[in-house]
Amino acid sequence: MRRPWIKILSSLIALLALFTALQLTAAPAKATTTYQIATDSTFPPFEFANSQNKYVGIDIDLLHAIAKDQGFKVNIKPTSFNAATQGVQSGQMDGVIAGMSITKEREATFDFSKAYFMSGVVMAAKPNGKITKLSQLRGKRVAVKTGTSGAQYAQSIHKKYGFKIVTFDESNDMYQDVLTGNSAACFEDSPVMKYAIRQGTKLKIYTKPALSGPYGFAVKKGHNQKLLRMFNNGLADLKANGEYARITKHYLGAKGSSDTTSDRTFLGLLKQNKGALLNGFEETIWLTIVAIFFATLFGVIVGLMGVVPSKFFNGVSTTLIYIFRGLPLLVLALFIYTGIPSLTGQKIPAFIAGIVTLTFNEGAYIAAFVKGGIHAVDDGQMEAARSLGLPFGKAMRRVILPQGIRIMIPSFINQFIITLKDTSILSIIGIIELTQTGKIIIARNLEGFKVWTIVAIIYLIVITLLTWLSNWVQRRVRL
Amino acid sequence: MNTKIKVKVSHLIKTFGDNQVLKGINLEVHDNEVVVVIGPSGSGKSTFLRNLNRLEAPTSGAIVIDDMDIADPKTNINKVRENIGMVFQHFNLFSNLSVSENIMLAPVELQKKTKAEAAKQAKDLLAMVGLESKYDATVQSLSGGQQQRVAIARALAMNPDVMLFDEPTSALDPEMVGDVLEVMKQLAKQGMTMIVVTHEMGFAKEVADRVVFVDDGNIQEQGTPDEIFNHPKDPRLQNFLNKVLNV
Ligand SMILES: Nc1ncnc2c1ncn2[C@@H]1O[C@H](COP(=O)(O)OP(=O)(O)OP(=O)(O)O)[C@@H](O)[C@H]1O
Ligand SMILES: [Mg+2]
Repeated sequence: MRRPWIKILSSLIALLALFTALQLTAAPAKATTTYQIATDSTFPPFEFANSQNKYVGIDIDLLHAIAKDQGFKVNIKPTSFNAATQGVQSGQMDGVIAGMSITKEREATFDFSKAYFMSGVVMAAKPNGKITKLSQLRGKRVAVKTGTSGAQYAQSIHKKYGFKIVTFDESNDMYQDVLTGNSAACFEDSPVMKYAIRQGTKLKIYTKPALSGPYGFAVKKGHNQKLLRMFNNGLADLKANGEYARITKHYLGAKGSSDTTSDRTFLGLLKQNKGALLNGFEETIWLTIVAIFFATLFGVIVGLMGVVPSKFFNGVSTTLIYIFRGLPLLVLALFIYTGIPSLTGQKIPAFIAGIVTLTFNEGAYIAAFVKGGIHAVDDGQMEAARSLGLPFGKAMRRVILPQGIRIMIPSFINQFIITLKDTSILSIIGIIELTQTGKIIIARNLEGFKVWTIVAIIYLIVITLLTWLSNWVQRRVRL
Repeated sequence: MNTKIKVKVSHLIKTFGDNQVLKGINLEVHDNEVVVVIGPSGSGKSTFLRNLNRLEAPTSGAIVIDDMDIADPKTNINKVRENIGMVFQHFNLFSNLSVSENIMLAPVELQKKTKAEAAKQAKDLLAMVGLESKYDATVQSLSGGQQQRVAIARALAMNPDVMLFDEPTSALDPEMVGDVLEVMKQLAKQGMTMIVVTHEMGFAKEVADRVVFVDDGNIQEQGTPDEIFNHPKDPRLQNFLNKVLNV
């Protein structure tokens, strides 16, 4: 008696599975000479977005010059340092160039090029002269950026000097922590710190470069050896023909590339970053729309599976809701983006990983209230429909769902707004949506407060518009 | 009385968990017969009725309606239900549909009637229950008595052979009860086979061919209204009648 209903459900699920599979395999086939290179989105002067929203910096310029010299192509993907290194380890990326120190530990899982830059860790603190030596750090907090050699250095000496380490994902947040006095000092690579100070960060370097170490370009151990060879050959060529010196001087010389002179008012910042903000905004809207579409599809199907007269489907529904509602969105995003490819060997573009993440997470919430909305319809309605001889599916479609949907509409609207906000979490896997755009702009100009204010206002405007729209829809739907 | 057996229930048992609610009911209902089921609250009257169209699945026993075994899971229950109308205590009109749409839904969906045919039928049925003017009304705008009459019209739209009523007037204000009972009497007069659970003893006396007294999950006594109301034998029936007739 319930066969047709189950058939429809199973074919829908099959379709969804097929679609996902297609998405996975549809990752663009690369021309043999284009390499996917991961980099940090915010590590000036090695990599950062300039005011035209183009990625520049010592690493970026070197890599482009080497690629040109050796005749291969690169597609540079800025993301967080952690996502970049994990991307290479999971096979999502062919190589990483991100001001990455060559260490014993890393050599266990990476093959490094010849060193292309020598750096060292310095301590920076407020210029008031209260903290000038490592020995003054006892009992204080020290800020570092995760995964950097500064963090490593802090780790190696924190017992000896008796300080507490606090870690940040972004350089700017780390500087801010020192500026506000939460942390007494920070450890940072000397070229990075010099660049930041030139950009107007009110910190001062007090120590000589320690742990002085080489930066290398890295590939996954045992993979992409040809790419590694080409990098080394190209580097040698650039050093010989003066190009290397030209690039490093451009960023580190006395008259380095810098935009401290530009207008730092709200309006000025908005004008300079109009293009970048607009792109980020578009990506956010796009992510939201696509995610809402698939999350609704997934949520409605899983929700309906929860109310059909089948113990099996009820169980599947409950389990899916339990899992995907239980997982933090951040964990789910990282799991899908870096976890799944390392299991299957299949690369997933960040955008698709983001959509899949939101589909499961938001979809689970949708499933829960779809189920709840249907249960909220009086049982008598279903009994009356069935007593007339209507099969379950028809009774559902003609009687129960129309009433249930009316109950669900406010929850749907709420969930759409949450989805819009949740897209910001996808910045963690390097999708350059509005939040990530904010981080990138701040990495360059270090105007955290003003830029976050602009970003927050943009979100609020969109959410206000969405709320108006949904109130209007709600009024139209009501009887 | 016509001797053709329309509904035959044999040793029907229904258990919820470890609560045996129906304990082996046997009952035959003939064509055109009106059977009124009475009994104390919780005795299993609703459960019995709901087993007849499988809104509850019988635990064991057989229910044969028009030669089709309802208790057999292989029976196409949707087809059988088209022939068994049911009227509920709380009306259960579809609140997303108008009065006429409530009546037309099943004929259009299941009998492949055209909209026009179904609309004509809905008008006729509404006239029969005295509500022609409510054709386009919303369910929410009707009184309880009106809703119940629409619910009867809705059930009749599928031209059922058997009608089941589960306390159709218990949720109504007293002044509405008469209209609904009037419609049911009319149906009985037209020869509809009816099984009616009710506390309306007046209706039972006037309309029933047979009255069945259910208590403790079993039929304790049955007979004509005269036998049941004027010469009850079972002490539990005597006790029950004392209570309901003397309130
Ligand atoms: N779905 C169910 N699950 C568990 N127990 C049930 C269910 N439906 C009915 N029962 C139990 O079965 C017994 C009989 O209930 P039923 O509704 O059939 O009585 P009734 O004779 O119709 O009473 P009333 O006159 O109050 O309507 C009660 O004890 C009730 O709690
Ligand atoms: Mg009852």
